[in-house]
Amino acid sequence: MPVVQVPRDDQYVLNHTTRFLARDVGEVAEPFHLPVVDTHWDGASAEVSYRFNDVTFVHRDDQAREVGVVGTFGELHTPVPLRQVRFLGEPTGLWAVTVRVGKGQVHRYRFAVDGRSVLDPVNPQRQRCDNGREWSRFFTHGCAVPISFDRWELRLLDRLVTQVLPFQLAENRRFLDDFYHRLSRSERDRQFPLAFLMDESVGVVNFIDKLLAREERHNLDDYKTCLRLIDGVLRARFPGREPAELGRQAFMDLYDELAANAVPGWDTGQYGEPRYFLVLLRRHAMTGAFAHPKHGGNNGAAAWAYLAERFEFDWRSALEAPLGRNTDYRG
Amino acid sequence: MADETFDAVIIGSGAGGAPIAHALVRAGKRVLVLEKGPLFHAQHTSPDGLSDFKRDEEFATGAEKVLRVPGVANTGVSFYSSHVEPDLNDEPHVYREKDGRDLATIEGYTAQVVGGGTQLYGGVSLRFAPDDFRLCTVNQGRADLRDDPNGDVAREARDWPFGYDELEPWYCVAEDLVGINGTRDGQLKPASADHYQKPLEPNSISSHVAVGMDALGLRRYRTPLAVITEDHLPSGRTVPLDRESIKTAFVNRYGDPLGLKSNTWVSLLHPISTEPGFELRANCAVTHLSATDSRVTAVHYRDPLGRSRTVSGTVVVVACSAIESVRLLHLSAELDPAFGQRINGNDLLGRYFLTHCFGGASARVPGRHDKSRTLDSDWATDACAAPEFVRANNLWAGGAIYNNTSDSALPISMARTWAANDMDTMWKGYLYDLDMRGDGFDGYLNENFGRQLSVAFMANQVPLPTNRITLHPSVRDKWNRPVAHIDKGWHSHDVAVMTVLAEQCRRILAAGGDGVQVIGHGHVGNDVRRIANHVLGGARFGSDPRDSVLDPDCRAWRFDNLYVTDGSFMPTSGGANPTLTIQANAFRVGDLLTTRV
Ligand SMILES: Cc1cc2nc3c(=O)[nH]c(=O)nc-3n(C[C@H](O)[C@H](O)[C@H](O)COP(=O)(O)OP(=O)(O)OC[C@H]3O[C@@H](n4cnc5c(N)ncnc54)[C@H](O)[C@@H]3O)c2cc1C
Repeated sequence: MPVVQVPRDDQYVLNHTTRFLARDVGEVAEPFHLPVVDTHWDGASAEVSYRFNDVTFVHRDDQAREVGVVGTFGELHTPVPLRQVRFLGEPTGLWAVTVRVGKGQVHRYRFAVDGRSVLDPVNPQRQRCDNGREWSRFFTHGCAVPISFDRWELRLLDRLVTQVLPFQLAENRRFLDDFYHRLSRSERDRQFPLAFLMDESVGVVNFIDKLLAREERHNLDDYKTCLRLIDGVLRARFPGREPAELGRQAFMDLYDELAANAVPGWDTGQYGEPRYFLVLLRRHAMTGAFAHPKHGGNNGAAAWAYLAERFEFDWRSALEAPLGRNTDYRG
Repeated sequence: MADETFDAVIIGSGAGGAPIAHALVRAGKRVLVLEKGPLFHAQHTSPDGLSDFKRDEEFATGAEKVLRVPGVANTGVSFYSSHVEPDLNDEPHVYREKDGRDLATIEGYTAQVVGGGTQLYGGVSLRFAPDDFRLCTVNQGRADLRDDPNGDVAREARDWPFGYDELEPWYCVAEDLVGINGTRDGQLKPASADHYQKPLEPNSISSHVAVGMDALGLRRYRTPLAVITEDHLPSGRTVPLDRESIKTAFVNRYGDPLGLKSNTWVSLLHPISTEPGFELRANCAVTHLSATDSRVTAVHYRDPLGRSRTVSGTVVVVACSAIESVRLLHLSAELDPAFGQRINGNDLLGRYFLTHCFGGASARVPGRHDKSRTLDSDWATDACAAPEFVRANNLWAGGAIYNNTSDSALPISMARTWAANDMDTMWKGYLYDLDMRGDGFDGYLNENFGRQLSVAFMANQVPLPTNRITLHPSVRDKWNRPVAHIDKGWHSHDVAVMTVLAEQCRRILAAGGDGVQVIGHGHVGNDVRRIANHVLGGARFGSDPRDSVLDPDCRAWRFDNLYVTDGSFMPTSGGANPTLTIQANAFRVGDLLTTRV
């Protein structure tokens, strides 16, 4: 597929990167902001534009003569050239290019600097391929491909999340069922490839999976450790059973124990404060359910639709079409 | 010497800087605006038709970040900042607690972006009351003030070097050029011209506030808000066909992708951006000024990638918001004792730092209202700014009261601010209410969603020399420069003011109709760090060079060409949100400067 380049100007590149990069002391701040994943607008159609993101690759090197980027978003052997970013007519040492990438995707990429292939030195997201080669990685809005967690972790997390959110109530579940039933089977598979995750948690687990891959990488270890501990605790309690398939009561009890900061069988040597993990999970569950769907949760705006149906909440009038019905605001 | 010269170099593009740029460029002058933050566009100003601001709760209060500033007591705490707040690890403000510990404030400080704090503000655009300009005069000889045993108020109160009448025409200019909707009738602030646009229908929840204010006999008016509701000729902005769609709840703490909120970029700078005399350099942080005798000869800044550059201007205007402006002047003084002698010979630079006496009351109303369709406020009253009220309550000054409509309007913000009074307690109430799950969570939504209503007051803080901005002895920013160190306490009379006004807010809600249940009322008097987004004073102006940093024109007393026009010029903080007054004063100074360059 030929890569579609988008004309974003130098001012845009500086606006979205220099605050993190420029400094005399300390490290690059919030390096997860690179590459910049932003809204796409084709100048005409909200429906068409909504299917894409603009992804801006930025590389800093004031010695290079030529910088390109190759990745799975385009042809792996044909670098897309980056241009020199200028300020007051002079080169800044930044190189950049913006390309159009479909939403819901994960890609790997490397820079080509004067013919040398290098990882993105800023973006902390990395991915190792089967052949052992390391790549830089990014994902676009509404991505549902698991990144941070294995399947068992996702399933266990889903069960935990349903203890925190309201959608488990019979009345609400009925609503959710109604909502999803309106989608055709193929439409569901297309939009929600991890449908098993969202029956009750409206995609929260996917939101957490993405958040821990980027903005809150610093919390990934907490999840990995606690899910392993919880898995162990539940296996010890219910020998021979798959923890993610246990009944609701098992998870309600676990919630209470986490809340009391006293989980029988929990190895506090590995993780001192189980309650801390619960609090973390509560924040992520709440945010994931009700944040803009582009962050990976709130699938199909189901949680907003739930608020609109139960209470009064005209989210559609403010939000960009075709998700909402505001045609002035482009997202 | 400097790489380039301009008629004026303006540092900071917010409320204090942009009006001056606007006035000078319109008068045909060559102006450079240096702004530390990025140029985040509204859709209509953007070359690609997209805004850098989004209607997305994650933009106002984002993912968890961890404070890593070494040497402060709150290193390691979590915070959740807006996407245009300065990076608190790179450029913290450090407050000294009552107990002497240093804390990096995590309440943010305005915004670091073209437009400054006006990009994120709620847009509440009240004038100050006439008495706010003469608090020394009106308090002379009074012995009846509450909780002021040592007569501090009479000693420290200052009149502005001019009265309301002199600023009044500039309020009119600001209201016209910025673009504000509201109503005039019922205000205590006389106006010679009415440039307000027509307000939109109030959110239905605000009717409880109208009822409460009426029941108490408090004259009310529609809160003036810096959001256009009609096509705005001076800035060329147009409104959507469906005007009601302007109300979105993405107001306070959000930049506006449609540019309807009248931040200084869309209202004042973008309209002059095609003029040949105007140049804006975003992502450029000024590090210090240097001077030869009484002339500032160079403005030193870091370009977007951190390279040092200099420019010079016939005049140099510092408008970085109060704390950062004072810091910039202190940093310049540190590098050159002669500069220090001129700017701070009387040891007043950084003193009389001010915020506002602030607080209010909140309630749960019986019915449910769709708070997603709202601006920041619907009703305001000046009743508690009236001289009779102030006297009757033994206070030195009064304040404005208005209701908030956009708070707790969106689901995540409701959870984040649940039982949390400010940025540093953000999330804690909800997260640690561990019973709130399943049925409990549903009950919480049912009880509160679309049912929360609050009323706030904004009043003068007593100026004190001990409330002060200095340079921190050890904490440094990412350019390895000392950060601002802030000492701030409340005077006992401030607490009295806040107690009286919080009670008024409570009474308004209590009288708001059957079934309105007041949840709480209170104020910020127990916390020195509040309210970090109204930062004022520290370089006050006055008519006596021994008693002020700036002359009545906002020029530094012993410099020929150095002006300071952000909120730091204020000798008292006014009984209302400050921005419209900062803008009006900046238009006044801008006009003066057209004859000086
Ligand atoms: C969430 C929020 C809500 C608010 N609501 C209201 C409201 O409803 N009504 C009201 O009246 N006020 C409100 N305010 C306050 C209002 O934003 C400020 O009063 C106002 O913006 C202050 O104007 P200023 O000129 O002093 O500073 P600012 O407008 O903050 O402008 C200062 C500018 O200088 C830049 N700068 C700083 N240092 C440097 C440097 N070294 N070099 C170059 N540039 C620099 C900054 O990046 C910034 O853009 C609110 C603020 C916030 C954050």
